[in-house]
Amino acid sequence: MSDKKQFQIVDLTKGAVFIALMAIGANLAAFIPLGPVPLTFQTVVAILAGILLGKKLGAFSMIGYLLVGFIGVPVLAGFSGGFHVIASPTLGFLISFVVLAFAAGAIIEKSPRPTLLTFFMASYAGLIINYLIGVPYLYFHSNFILGLDGVQLLPIAAGMTPFFIKDLVLATFTAILAPQLLKAVNRQPHQMKAAS
Amino acid sequence: MFDNVIIGQYVPKESVIHKMDPRSKLIIVLLFIVFLFLTRHPFILGMAVILTFTAFSMSKIPFGYFIKGMRFIAIIIFFTFILHLFMTREGTVLVEWPLLTIYSGGVIEGSLIALRLFLLILMASLLTLTTTPIDLTDGIETLMKPLKKVNVPTHELALMMSIALRFIPTLLGETAKIVKAQMARGANFSEGSLWKRLKALIPVLIPLFVQSFKRAEDLAVAMEARGYNGGEGRTKFRQLKWKPLDTGALSLFIAFAVLTVIFRFFE
Repeated sequence: MSDKKQFQIVDLTKGAVFIALMAIGANLAAFIPLGPVPLTFQTVVAILAGILLGKKLGAFSMIGYLLVGFIGVPVLAGFSGGFHVIASPTLGFLISFVVLAFAAGAIIEKSPRPTLLTFFMASYAGLIINYLIGVPYLYFHSNFILGLDGVQLLPIAAGMTPFFIKDLVLATFTAILAPQLLKAVNRQPHQMKAAS
Repeated sequence: MFDNVIIGQYVPKESVIHKMDPRSKLIIVLLFIVFLFLTRHPFILGMAVILTFTAFSMSKIPFGYFIKGMRFIAIIIFFTFILHLFMTREGTVLVEWPLLTIYSGGVIEGSLIALRLFLLILMASLLTLTTTPIDLTDGIETLMKPLKKVNVPTHELALMMSIALRFIPTLLGETAKIVKAQMARGANFSEGSLWKRLKALIPVLIPLFVQSFKRAEDLAVAMEARGYNGGEGRTKFRQLKWKPLDTGALSLFIAFAVLTVIFRFFE
């Protein structure tokens, strides 16, 4: 056995579970009658992956999520999946999940005793990374893959504002949800039995 | 509702393309995509069209399956074509109306980009239409093996993906159950402000995460009890087999890649 094993078995199963949770988050609207606003909770779950699994495993799990989507399993938004996703203009947002899970995890791991403020920082950092990679990729996609040289970065960014506001609310929600989840999943097994 | 999760986009058929090794298919598709974007030469593009359509007809997959997942990207291709038609101002004038002039350059540029994207998507979806997610996971694992040298946990990644394939339908079903249970208790997700609706989700998300983590821990204990200890020396139930067919197909696409480079630099 190698001594520099990076992940324990339980890490891998938790990472796998988070891939499934991402699939649920991306399509939560299919389960819950949320009303007319089209919401996906991918960013929420990706930030939670960083917070609950830590930076390394969180990012690793998100890489797994992308690959599972690429190999055709309908885990992406709208129960879609397939290798053709690599031609999608929103690929940047997907890739950003890996980075933002790492960043959110790193922020939580840095602080010895995370307060609500730490969770807010992790969530907003995650949100900013999401857009910092996703929006320039949209620009790159339209200019170099679609060959539309006339498209500028700023109008694209401006067009994303309504989505950003929606995601800002979701990130705030994540920051409030995260400590509760952390407490709930880290409860001792015997206590959990009493609760469930 | 969730029956198609495990098989993904896979369409079972008896065809040559289905029988190919996932590794060769992965390499071929990646090669094709990279080199397709290096070229604008009509000869190479013609070759790409022939390769794509030959592969597609050999796979025996009805065209309808391909269209199904592609509506969104079809719209992008269409609008890209239209935008190029109006924006490019090169070549001779083809149509001159009061508000709209179409140049030949626009038609060429628009068709070129649209054709490239179309071929890319056709090839990429052919990969997932003819290969099961499990086979592709195995393929990715073997192809990434060299990365083990730089400490990338490739076996762990493939294992995590396979476990996820098994968990996805279970957890999707569980989510539906929890949602129903909370609605029976009076949870209201569809009224009030956005914030109120989000808060109504907390009683769904917390049990969902707790249950998921419990499942993960139980599975880890079960695996440990059965003596699982990583990829070293592990044998496989499903073996990948590299056939002469794969070598042939791969050399065909390598030839395509080489020709692309030759046409790009020596003309």
